[in-house]
Amino acid sequence: MNSEKIIEINNLNKSFKDVHAVRDLSFSVRRGELFAFLGVNGAGKSTTISIMCGKLTKDGGTVIINGADADGAPAKIKNSLGVVFQSCALDKYLSVYDNLQSRAALYGITGDKFKARYKELSELLHFTDLSKRTLGKLSGGQRRRIDIARALVHKPEILILDEPTTGLDPQTRKLLWRVVSDLREQEGLTVFLTTHYMEEAADADYVVILDGGRKVAEGTPLELKNAYTHDYINVYGGDMGELSALGYPCREAGGAIRISVPDTAHAAALISEHRELFTDFEIFKGNMDDVFLTVTGKELSGGEGL
Amino acid sequence: MSTFFYMTKRNIKLFLKDRGMVFTSLVTPLILLLLFATFLGNVYRDTFKSNLPEGFEVSDKIISGLVGGELCSSLIAVSCVTVAFCANFLMVQDKVNGARDDLMTSPVKQSTLSLAYYVATVVSTLVICLIATALCFVYLACVGWFLSFADVMLILSDVVILTLFGTVLSSIINTFLSSQGQITAVGTIMSAGYGFICGAYMPLSQFGAAVRNTVMFLPGTYGTSLVRNHMMGGVFGEMTAKGFPDGVVEGIKDSVDCNLYFFDKGVSVGVMYAVMLVTVGLLIGAYVAINFIKGKKKKSGRI
Repeated sequence: MNSEKIIEINNLNKSFKDVHAVRDLSFSVRRGELFAFLGVNGAGKSTTISIMCGKLTKDGGTVIINGADADGAPAKIKNSLGVVFQSCALDKYLSVYDNLQSRAALYGITGDKFKARYKELSELLHFTDLSKRTLGKLSGGQRRRIDIARALVHKPEILILDEPTTGLDPQTRKLLWRVVSDLREQEGLTVFLTTHYMEEAADADYVVILDGGRKVAEGTPLELKNAYTHDYINVYGGDMGELSALGYPCREAGGAIRISVPDTAHAAALISEHRELFTDFEIFKGNMDDVFLTVTGKELSGGEGL
Repeated sequence: MSTFFYMTKRNIKLFLKDRGMVFTSLVTPLILLLLFATFLGNVYRDTFKSNLPEGFEVSDKIISGLVGGELCSSLIAVSCVTVAFCANFLMVQDKVNGARDDLMTSPVKQSTLSLAYYVATVVSTLVICLIATALCFVYLACVGWFLSFADVMLILSDVVILTLFGTVLSSIINTFLSSQGQITAVGTIMSAGYGFICGAYMPLSQFGAAVRNTVMFLPGTYGTSLVRNHMMGGVFGEMTAKGFPDGVVEGIKDSVDCNLYFFDKGVSVGVMYAVMLVTVGLLIGAYVAINFIKGKKKKSGRI
């Protein structure tokens, strides 16, 4: 990852009649980064992505992707972007080969050029044996790999993953992330992710949280956790009365008593002052769910962890 | 150009591989065949016989040629439009299942996609309708063949014109559809209704004057009459050669809509061609304009 900005959005605004979907939004994404874009439904994520992809016009602000302005060179931007949608947008009655052939043709990739790219992708994403299979007959995981192949068919520099794991079983989600991770390593892709799963956002290099069309927080996951969450001490086999008397909020959680402290320094001090109460314990930071809840006052409706 | 070619190929393959869509497109011809087998055949026969003067003998071959010609012309006139509608539903299904969003993330022009839908629908419709036409020819050869080579060529050109008409009409209507429910509703209305309003199920001569005059404003009526003229022209020629009075032949032509009247004024075959071709031209212009306006509105988020 380097410091070059591959996406720069400044003061972006978009309204639909009376609904102000995006308000004065500014952020940037560095080349090679895994960037997470978080927000509840209606926060403005999809509108921003639609503007980036050239599907919607903006009311104000600037969108520069890979050095091209969205107003002046939409075709150049579209060639830089590959999009994996929440649900498969390919043709279920066509074979894997036919699907990718028709999509590649959209970028002028045909004939031998397409055959060479198809070979590369089928080896990279392990679907060489699926070429003749009809898309509708593939499993969820196989179909997801073909979705990614479609997004990469024109060798984009930015891969947009729009809630790519929603509705997938844990095994398929793991598979998808392994593929994305390999692609980042091998092809140096920049990944722009929107997700409802906070565990996925926790692995991002940089996170922007939207609420009501506005950016309400940004930073690395660690910065966000430090700024917006507490540290916790899980005490096993402790006494609720004695621990509550320490003056910090306590609650039972998963067979332990969880004490909320402002930061790690407070936790360390508390434990050394009251060694007799802390015989079996662990200290950990708040997670991205806590960050999101603190920042927006809302909870994202994600599923179980990876 | 290659993008257009591959998108057209994709659209044709999708239609032909979707058995549900192909079957739906064949529902109307099947309805017509069912109606013919149950009662329409007898209605046609009675219509012809009622137009013959007392004591006039007509061979079974001529009657069968007339009945078969009317059936086949109805079948072709309806199929060209309803099959086009079903084939063109692909453009709506692409919106419903998200494929359109996927296509639009690429640098492809909206006009290329629209043209690919149009050409693919024309090709898919022609494939099915030309097969149907070939089956009609086989049927006519069995019951009573009176077509000349010129008639066959003119019938094939009618199929092309009606296909172009059905495709552009469906393109315009489908532009405004965006859900599976709307596809089903429009498909049902077209399958059930188009045959009536174009005079394919029942000749316009059997409708009241008000309905007859109203449907004369619909271009499909002229398309049906074109096919009917070419499909039945040979039988009428044979009847004239056999000494049938002109009045009798014209009476039958009136009863099966080979002769059309726009508020009592006769419409020639040349005018029928002109109506169809001008309509296709105007509708293509309207389709391009609608796409342009809708494209701009969609990008700005107003629809």
